[in-house]
Formats: sequence, structure tokens, C-alpha cells
Amino acid sequence: MRSRKAIALLVAPLVGVLALTACSSGGSAATDKSQTVNVDKDWSKAAPITIDVFDGLANYQGIQSGWFGKIVQDKFNMKLNIIAPNVAGGGDTLYNTRVAGGNLGDLIITDKGQKMDELIQGGLLQDDSSYYGSMKSMKTYDAAVQKLNDGKKGVYAFPTQVSAQKPTVSSEGLDPTFGPFLRWDYYAQLGYPKINTLEDLLPVLKQMQDAHPTADNGKKVYAVDLFKDWDGNMMVMGKQPTTLYGYDEMGFVLAKADGSDYQSIVDSDSQYVRALKFYYQANQMGLVDPESTTQNYDTMFSKYQNGQVLLSWWPWLGQSAYNTTANTQAGKGFELVPMKDQNIFSYGAAVYGATQVMAIGSKAKDPARIAAFIDWLYSPEGILASSSQTMGGAGPQGLTWDMKNGKPELTDFGQKAILGDGTAEVPASWGGGQYAKGVSALNVTTVLPIDTDPNTKMPYNYKYWPQVQALTSTPLSKDWSSHMGNATSTMDYLQKNHEVLVAPGSGYAAPADSSEIQTIRNQVKASIVEYSWKMVFAKNDADFSSLLKQMQDTVKGLGYQKVLDFDMANAKAQNQARLDVTAAFK
Amino acid sequence: MTVHQVTSAEVLLDDVSTRRASAPRTEPRRKGPRTSRTMFLLLLPFLVLVFAFSYLPLAGWVTALYDYKPALGLGGSQFVGLQWFRMLVGSRTQLEQIGQVMANTFAMSGLGILTSLFPVFFAILLNEVRAKWFRNMVQTLTTLPNFISWVLVYAIAFSLFSTSGLVNTTLHDWGLITTPIHFLDSDNHVWLTMLAWSLWKGLGWGAIMYLAAIAGIDPTLYESARIDGANRFQLMRYITFPQLMPTYVVLLMLSVANLLNNGMEQYYVFQNAFNRDHIQVLDLYVYNIGLTGNSLSMAAALSMLKSVVSVLLLLFVNWVAKRVRGTSII
Repeated sequence: MRSRKAIALLVAPLVGVLALTACSSGGSAATDKSQTVNVDKDWSKAAPITIDVFDGLANYQGIQSGWFGKIVQDKFNMKLNIIAPNVAGGGDTLYNTRVAGGNLGDLIITDKGQKMDELIQGGLLQDDSSYYGSMKSMKTYDAAVQKLNDGKKGVYAFPTQVSAQKPTVSSEGLDPTFGPFLRWDYYAQLGYPKINTLEDLLPVLKQMQDAHPTADNGKKVYAVDLFKDWDGNMMVMGKQPTTLYGYDEMGFVLAKADGSDYQSIVDSDSQYVRALKFYYQANQMGLVDPESTTQNYDTMFSKYQNGQVLLSWWPWLGQSAYNTTANTQAGKGFELVPMKDQNIFSYGAAVYGATQVMAIGSKAKDPARIAAFIDWLYSPEGILASSSQTMGGAGPQGLTWDMKNGKPELTDFGQKAILGDGTAEVPASWGGGQYAKGVSALNVTTVLPIDTDPNTKMPYNYKYWPQVQALTSTPLSKDWSSHMGNATSTMDYLQKNHEVLVAPGSGYAAPADSSEIQTIRNQVKASIVEYSWKMVFAKNDADFSSLLKQMQDTVKGLGYQKVLDFDMANAKAQNQARLDVTAAFK
Repeated sequence: MTVHQVTSAEVLLDDVSTRRASAPRTEPRRKGPRTSRTMFLLLLPFLVLVFAFSYLPLAGWVTALYDYKPALGLGGSQFVGLQWFRMLVGSRTQLEQIGQVMANTFAMSGLGILTSLFPVFFAILLNEVRAKWFRNMVQTLTTLPNFISWVLVYAIAFSLFSTSGLVNTTLHDWGLITTPIHFLDSDNHVWLTMLAWSLWKGLGWGAIMYLAAIAGIDPTLYESARIDGANRFQLMRYITFPQLMPTYVVLLMLSVANLLNNGMEQYYVFQNAFNRDHIQVLDLYVYNIGLTGNSLSMAAALSMLKSVVSVLLLLFVNWVAKRVRGTSII
């Protein structure tokens, strides 16, 4: 009798644990919607807090430091503890773990669509309706906020990269996101050879590499460098050449920006396979860095910095790594080459915002203060301060720039910090430390920097400012401009020559994959990426073709067609959304 | 001379040998509710541990029947029945992939078992080294790799064997090769290279047990063999080796039991697009699908396969034991 009781005593708590594991979370935090809370007040004297920011965009993990940290500290008496899945690695592991624990973070930057919907349904996001009324800066973008929260019972998230521009205007400013960028100085030495199409780059690159086999640091130069960190539905470097012809990915579909063509990536005649063939040929010609298979983005980036690479598909890779003041003054650097048949994909200004959204966690400490912080990020001051990592925001007024004769101009410090290599020391009153290390690690662009700052009447992006345009004129840019029909910027050249294809910014988010589609997709994409790499490094043409065939057979066997149909429908829906938004904002 | 060298690990073996040598213990026959409860309480912590770490996790199997989404919890996720299992066996490619994964698992575990005699030979040979300082040095140096994590082992492998690593650079500088050899990112001999790494890492550690066993061998056996004129090799062949066999067989059985648990860390750090076909073992495959691919339910369904195979293996071993020894293990 007694021992049976003992067993019962023993088993009871364990059954309880079992029951707990079976149905944890699921509860939703109750928020009182009826009350409105004014967040528009001075938070600098509030009790100090540290908030956890789960930031899907951040490439830095830890407490925000430097000048941006000081601004946030001074204004909100708040420290940002940034949790970055990009740094943690392992795909969605960190997200899943935190989500299963019922608390993703105090401030959350994640994707709209499936993730946002799930988080709302699971009760992990807070309804911000009570704060929204007093979020003054956010009100400017009310249309985008409403659109994002359409069909949800409250205001759960705020869109990023919003803009007051027309959706058919490129959101990218002076530099496109994609393009064939070569070492212009070496290209010039060859006498500016004509490039008609993608494959014409190969002989040019070959001559460039032969003429300059080693970089200044004594290391071998390779025309092409690849990396694998961002491989997703396909090999990320395989996708880039397709953007030169106006394609962007929608799952396994390559959709042309104007809706005129849709390709399945594994088709033998797809642009993606063409790109793989391009790399394969480059490798046969000895142009591909053999370390490509094992290196990561950072290693590759430092090779660009050292001048060991000759081709870049992104200005924000080649140019930002190599086009330093010293190099450009010496006439060296990456510039867009005139590839005759290019029609480069460009993202239109997303009036409804981009993929990422900002939200407040349901268990957030002091949500009103976080709402105030979010609102500040959409104010001119916040936009300038926060978007300086990659998007060309000018930084805080008084430090990097100031008004002069009614026009914004970079200060001496600003010129050193922004146009130089970012190592300039910030004055102690602004928090000290290197300028580049103090930029906002949130890495989020709330409002497009091409938008006009109401205070200065100039774009937030300093590259548009007359003073900066005069300052950044270098032997390199002059030489480039003189051979490109006196274009003032890359985008200027592309627009004049109709070589850019703007996809209207519809803010379309594909519906969530059903779990079946998701599972097939994950298996298929692993196969595609695996075979793509093998194809690039194939031994010969026959090997290349047989690997292609194997890839096609494998993915077909895994259920590729099902996912393709789904993606194809989404691609077409996206095109419809683009047409709609164009009509709506005519 | 003394054959009986005291090593730190001897304790381990002493325990085994004395238990074997001593007569069956006679239990004090004090029966009653009090004693049995005390005994039960003594046993309890271990029962709890076994339950918590071996049975409780089985509750996770239930995710295989749901379309599990962490944000919604199990309660909010949709019940899909056997959908994932149907998917696993639904297409030829899928089955081929699982087949390949199982082949990798069995091949690499099998190679590990085949080479499980290596530490025995290593221990025997090491035991014959007369210079104590040299023997200790070798033993320390070969045991050390066991304490290096696989991540660091890969870091070593990378700096040695990557396309710009020490080996390639040296070969290139000597003019032996013009293009770097792809040691790490190639699909050739993956099973063997993986075996080589795990041998390098585990050889010294594996030998410890045998060194202890050697120390426990009755010195009179050696003395009488020597009187009979046996030389050193004959002593190794006819005394040491047979005396090690009982220990070896016990360890072999343990490793057979762990056939499927060949650890995914090693394969995880060494995997890349080029060798994935032949490096993906069951644990790694489950990890890649569940955590990297974010299909938790599918991975749960797949990981049940491991338990099924384990039970089959157990039944098989049991059948063999029954045939050979006449008694079953379970």
C-alpha cells in the first residue's frame, strides 16, 4: 500500500512535467486597449533600463556602444542589448528557442508575413494601439502602418524602409543594389574593351588577372571570389548575375521586375544555370579563388579591401571595401562597366515598407518607452542617426554635419569619419570611440535615406549634398564619368541608358509556406545549393551537364514541382501587387 | 622485474577484475517493508535520472504528429497525424536519401568498430616500451587530442588542409603541385578521412583501458612463459593479447550498442556542399532538417527512425546471443 503511494508521489510531478512540456506557451498577454498612453514625453530622467532587442538584421551582438549608444542613453536612459541571430548562426534556431520560451525580446525586428502572423497568434507581440496615437513621427507613414496591420486586431508592428516617394522610383539612391562592378583602373588599362553580355566579362577579367597576378600585399589576385554564408533558395552568388537582367527570386522562381518573364531556377536554360555556367567557365580559366568553397563573407571582404578581387556584383561590396579616399585619389577602384544588354533589377521605393518590421514584445519592460524609441527612429533626427551603417544616413547633426548657408554640409570630422575609413575618433562628449564602431548596430533603415529631410530640404543621404558631391569627385570618378557619357552617378548612367528595371515597391509579402511546402523547400534548396557548388567546380563540360541533370532529378524526386507551383503563383501575385501599387500612387 | 605497472586508470580495471574474481556476494536476508523502502529510496535518484533523460524526451515524439510551430506551442499547432511519415516514404528520392544516410551511419560506425582493435595493439606495443619517460610522453601526447573539441580539431584541419593551408602552401612552394588539392571540400574517401580523424583523436584515450588491463595481468603467467623460453613477441601474442580479450569484448559490445550514436559533432564541423552526400549520418541529417532547415516535426518523425533501428539491433544482438550462449540478454 505504502510503496504504491510512494510511486504515486513520485510519478505525479513527472506527469505534471510531461503535461507542461506538452502544452507550454500559447497564452497571450492581455493588454488594455482602451487606455491611451502618451509616449511623447521626456524619457531622459526615467529609471535606467536595458532592453533586449531581437534583431534579425543586426550583425553585431551585445550592448550598443559608441555615439549611437550614447544618444539613446541620453534621450531614453536606455541601453540596447542586441541579440543577433545572424551572429549566433544556425538559421532559425535562436528564433525558435526564444519563441518556444514565450519571450522573443523587448524590441523585435523580424519579418512580416509568416513570422509576424505567428508571433501575433502566439501572443508574443504587444498591441501598440494605446501608444500609436501619440507616436507623432510614425503618423507620417500611417498608410504603411495601416496596410501592415490590415486585418489584425490592433497595431502590432511598424514597417521599415518606408518612403514618401512614388513606388516606381528606385529606392536605391545613387548606387543600385546590383551591377557588374569591375576594377576600373585595370579595365581602363585594357582600353575600355566592349562588353556586350555577361560572358564577355570572362576574357576581360582574364586579361585583367593576367596583367595583375598579385595584389599590393603580395597575395594572388583572383577575378572572382565566392562565399556561401548567405546561400538560401539557391547559391547566393549564382543569383547575382541574374539581377543584371532584371530578375529577382521568389522562392525557386526568378521573376523579371516588369512581370514579362518567370523562370524555374533549375531549368537548363534558366538565368541561374547560366550564372553557374559563367562561374564554371571562370573556374576553368583559373579566375575563381580556390578558397571560395570554404571562406566566409568577412574573409572575402578583406580580400576586396586588399585588392585581391576584380569583380563585384554589389557596389556595397567592391566599392565600400576598396574605394577608399586614398585608392580613388590614385585612380583605383570599382566602378560599373557598361554591359550592353544589362537591365539591372532595382527595388522601387516601398510605400508600404520592406520585409522587416519592428514590434514590441508582449513581455516587454516599459513598452511605452520602447514605443517612444521606435517613434524617434522615424523622426528626422532618428533617421539620420540610425541609418548610417550602410544606407548613407549622415549621422547626428553637430557631430558629422551641420547647416551652412542654409545647406547641410559634412563637418571636418564628418568628412574624416564618413568619407574616410571610419576610424576617426569621436569626441568624448559624443561618447568617444571610433565612429564606425559607434554606428547603430540595429542595422535597420526606418525611412529611406533618399527621402527629403523636412528640416534641411535635402535627402537624408549625404551623397546627394552638393558639398559632398564636389568632395567625392576623384580621378577615378572623373575618368569613369568621362567614359560613361558624363554620368554623375551609377544610377544616373543606368537611367539615362535605360539599363535599370525598377520593380515597383509593393511591399508584397508571400503567404506563409504550409509546413509541407516548407519541408520540401528546405530539402530541395539544400540540394540545389549543394549541386550548384559542385557545378561551379565541375571538372569538365560533361561533368557539369551530368551534375545539372542530377540536380534536376534529385529536386524533382523531392517534390520540387509542388513548391515551384506555389512560388510561381506568389510571383504572379507579387506582380499584380506591383501593378496595383503603381496605379494607386500614380 | 615488475610487470605490474601501476597506472592511474588501473582502478577502473581492478574494479572489473575483483568483481569477476570474488565469489558471489551473499545478501543479508533482512526482509520487511522498512528495508525495501530504504532500498527503493536508494534506487530512486537513478530511476528519476533514467526517467528524466531516457523516457521523458520520448514525449517529444508527439511533435511528429503535429505541424509544430514554436510560436504557437503544441496546443496551437495543427494535428496532422501521419503526414510526416508518409512524406518520408513518399518518394524514391526521399528514400534514397535516407538510405544513403543510413549507409553513412553504418559505414562510419562499422569502420570505427573494425578499427577498435587499434587501441589494443597500441596499448600492447606501448607497454613494451622500456624507457618510462618516453612511454609516458607518448601516452600523454596521444591522449591529449581526446580533450580537444571537434570544433578546434576542425580549426586545426582547416589551417593544415584548406586550399591555402600549410600542406597546400608547402607543396606549392616545393613545386610539387600547381593547383591546390581540395582535401576538405571533396567527396573522395570521406569515410576514411573521417575515420582517420577520429582515430587520431581517440587512439590514446582508447588505449588507457587496455593499459590498465595489461597492468592487471597476473605476472606469474609471464614468468612461467619466460621459463618456457617465450620471447617478447610470443609473450605479446600468447599472454597479453588473449588476456586483453575479455575487456575488448565488453567494450566492443558497448560500441555495438552505440552504433547509431556515432556523434554528429565531427561530421557537423567537417560537412560542406561537396562532401555532404557521404558525411551525413543520421544524427546530423536530423539536425540539418530540424534545426538548419527548420522542419522540427519532420525531424522528430525522422529521429524516431533511430529508436526503431536501435530496437531492431537489440533484437538482432539478442538473437545472436541466444544462438551462441543459449541465454538471451533481455
